[in-house]
Amino acid sequence: MTMDLNQLKQAVFEKGRAYGFSEMEIYYQADRATSVRIFKGDIDTFNIVERAGLSFRGEYQGTMGVAYTEKLDEASIDQMLQAARENAEVTQSEEKAELFAGSESYREARSFSDELHNTDAATLIQAALDMEAAGLAADPRIELLNSCSVVNSNSEVMIVNTKGLDCRTASTMAVCQVSALAKEADAVATAYDNAFSAASLADLDVQAFGDRVGRDAAAKLGAQEIESDNYEIIFRNNAIATLLHTYSSIFSGSNADKGLSVLQGRLGEAVAGSNITMIDDAHLPGAPGNTPFDSEGVATGRTEVIKDGQLVSFLHNLKSAKKAGVASTGNAYKAGYRGDLTTLPNNLFIMPGSQSLDELIASTKRGIMIIELHGLHSGTDAISGDFSLAALGHYIEDGKIVRPVNQITVAGNFMKMLQNVEAIGRDLRFQGTGRGACGAPSLKIKSLTISGK
Amino acid sequence: MLSQALIEDVLAAALETGGDFADVFVEDKTINTISMIGGSVESALTGRDFGVGIRVISGLFAVYAYTNDFRRDNLLHVARQAAQAIRGTKRDLTLDLRRTVLKSEHPILILPETVSKARKIEHMRRAHEVAKAYDPSISQTSITHKDEDQKVLIANSDGLFVEDRRTRNRLYIEAVATFGNEKSVGSSSPGAHQGFEFMENLNVEEHARLAAHTAKTMVRAEFAPSGKMPVIIDNEFGGVIFHEACGHGLESTSVAKKVSVFSDKVGELVASPLVTAIDDGTIPNAWGSSTIDDEGTPTQRNVLIENGILKGYLIDKLGAKRMGMQSTGSARRESYKFAPASRMNNTYIAAGSTAPEEIIANTEYALYAKYLGGGSVNTATGDFNFVVREGYIVKNGKIEKPVRGATLIGKGIDVLQKIDMVGSNLGFGQGMCGSISGSIPADVGQPMIRVAELTVGGRKGE
Repeated sequence: MTMDLNQLKQAVFEKGRAYGFSEMEIYYQADRATSVRIFKGDIDTFNIVERAGLSFRGEYQGTMGVAYTEKLDEASIDQMLQAARENAEVTQSEEKAELFAGSESYREARSFSDELHNTDAATLIQAALDMEAAGLAADPRIELLNSCSVVNSNSEVMIVNTKGLDCRTASTMAVCQVSALAKEADAVATAYDNAFSAASLADLDVQAFGDRVGRDAAAKLGAQEIESDNYEIIFRNNAIATLLHTYSSIFSGSNADKGLSVLQGRLGEAVAGSNITMIDDAHLPGAPGNTPFDSEGVATGRTEVIKDGQLVSFLHNLKSAKKAGVASTGNAYKAGYRGDLTTLPNNLFIMPGSQSLDELIASTKRGIMIIELHGLHSGTDAISGDFSLAALGHYIEDGKIVRPVNQITVAGNFMKMLQNVEAIGRDLRFQGTGRGACGAPSLKIKSLTISGK
Repeated sequence: MLSQALIEDVLAAALETGGDFADVFVEDKTINTISMIGGSVESALTGRDFGVGIRVISGLFAVYAYTNDFRRDNLLHVARQAAQAIRGTKRDLTLDLRRTVLKSEHPILILPETVSKARKIEHMRRAHEVAKAYDPSISQTSITHKDEDQKVLIANSDGLFVEDRRTRNRLYIEAVATFGNEKSVGSSSPGAHQGFEFMENLNVEEHARLAAHTAKTMVRAEFAPSGKMPVIIDNEFGGVIFHEACGHGLESTSVAKKVSVFSDKVGELVASPLVTAIDDGTIPNAWGSSTIDDEGTPTQRNVLIENGILKGYLIDKLGAKRMGMQSTGSARRESYKFAPASRMNNTYIAAGSTAPEEIIANTEYALYAKYLGGGSVNTATGDFNFVVREGYIVKNGKIEKPVRGATLIGKGIDVLQKIDMVGSNLGFGQGMCGSISGSIPADVGQPMIRVAELTVGGRKGE
């Protein structure tokens, strides 16, 4: 940054008035991160990140204009304001976006840790080395860890506008990830996972984590195809959370309004089985997406999306809420200063049940436990809910895991599947390392189509 | 962008602790995105990305740092921070940067900044109107215009100092069809490394009709069958099969660490003798082309497979060092926020001699994938997957009926060996390719091909 933050705010608002903007807002975000990747006992790459940028929104003759810049000098600010004005001139959206004056109160989100903020590079490197060693020691068939990294980051966000809004927050996050490769004769198998903590590096428990991913990879060796048929399906928590993550836009109020969600017009209807309750909560202890306010400065809270199978609310920002005649649910989202305003969950999750994963397996007669899904960006249709995805898992017979399975696809419809959940695990797990995170316990589905041999 | 003297000082600071190579990547990029939903402009966003990436390499260890605070003191501070991670012996160093003036191989006639947003919106509106009017089942359209103008400066301790400018334009057309409680999406997304003249010359109507046709046909189609069967994959974006099944596994990122199924296989027969595959970053104005790569090496035409035999890999500077080979001009990155890595530009299977009609006429039973969507691959196991956006069943040499919801899965080398027919209708399609150095524009391409057997993941019989 080449200007002090308050100076910058003054400069932007003053210039903005000259450009004809009546109300204005700046969204400033600064991120810093250090990351290390280890390969075969040595540091492979070491990255140092610092970046900051400014996004501007302004009302110009009744329409909102948006632009951003990472270059923070006089000339770039002028360029940004000019572009924002031109963008306001061409925007035709029937429902007008408005700047927000602020919520009455904000709940603190406790997502900043001094300990993480002060963790040095040497500690990070040691953690990654320990993680690799644990992964390699997990099983004699682990050949190498083709990815083994630890990232420590912190971020500050400030939203200030001419209507009086002044929101600021800072957060920290440590993430570790491992991809382990196991080999036996001609067979190769890999496993990947990540873990996060907003509080401390110790929470990641890198040795136990490396060991677990290593064992996961080894357990997949010898996987084979299986006959195409309909099977009972258990989605392990990580797999179903990833699928929910992919489909979270189905619950977006603005998508429903635009006819881009199968749930359009279905508020109040039973859209899932009566055993399904889905909640978005921005203040869930230990969850990755906690935040005191959303990207429009609206205070966040807890929203019931599905209650006992019934669709009770969409996730809204100010614009979609106004259109639906309800209050914003605090789900406005901008992917940092570079993003456009949309809606996104904070921490969206399916309420856990009471059974352990082992119990779900024990109650399965002839089924497959899916532990990994691939091609989620392409094999899922976010508008219809249809999916057909490459998958890996384990074949279950008479309540016992028999062998690993690969080269299969699992197909169905996400919403229809939620009407056929037979049993719900208690092992809630989140996927994602920031806002937009989704969580689920392992779920057992009556039947889905598996393609294989 | 930044002065030569400052760059020299940054490189010197980066090498203070004895690193053996350093480079600097300065990027200044303006991006315009306009999105129209149902015929009205929902949002328009303009952004300017600006930042500096500094890399120091010592042996095979790379340190990468980036910042967008471009003041001299901060750049030197960041370079020194990066250098701190390297524990070598300081050497005496004389930097002699030689400025290279590039002649762009990809002429830009109309820069996006000289075109009003209203003019860009005219093309979007045409796309909306044609798609909407195509069929009563078309319930919604979503049209996005995106242009970007990227200026880069690349300098390194070997004396390179070069600037390049890459301008790209793309139109995303999406049509949604509704039939009863079902919804289906069709899309077409043409793009080029070219100025606004690309939009002016584009047959917008044709692309809008293609998107609407897919949505309309698929919403009424029954689900695809499941299991192993012959699959015919049409040209253009169908080439994503080679991109996923093979291309990623040929990048030095995985080859050099021997975690690719293609490691140590040059000279071996890895595909059907009918297959010749090429990655070419020099195709004039193609979506995935550029004059130089993101390490400043001129791009080139790399033959990957010739008549089934593996000929070479895609290599960046670090991969070249690890493998003891030369860079193939394949270093790419999404932005200064990523260290460069070996990536594809425009990758395609070369044309064969069989007419596409003949392939269909000579097929007893197959899934015919007319348009494919994206996919992904695990380069260590070779397992890939991709999705069929518009599919049909071919029976007794004729296209019988449309089917939807199919995903294709297989293993890279296995599928390349099972290609038993290669058509004559080579065509290209545009995509965004995501990998270790971010999301980058890349063309895929091929003529129609037939694969003797692939696993089709449908959901018929549910």
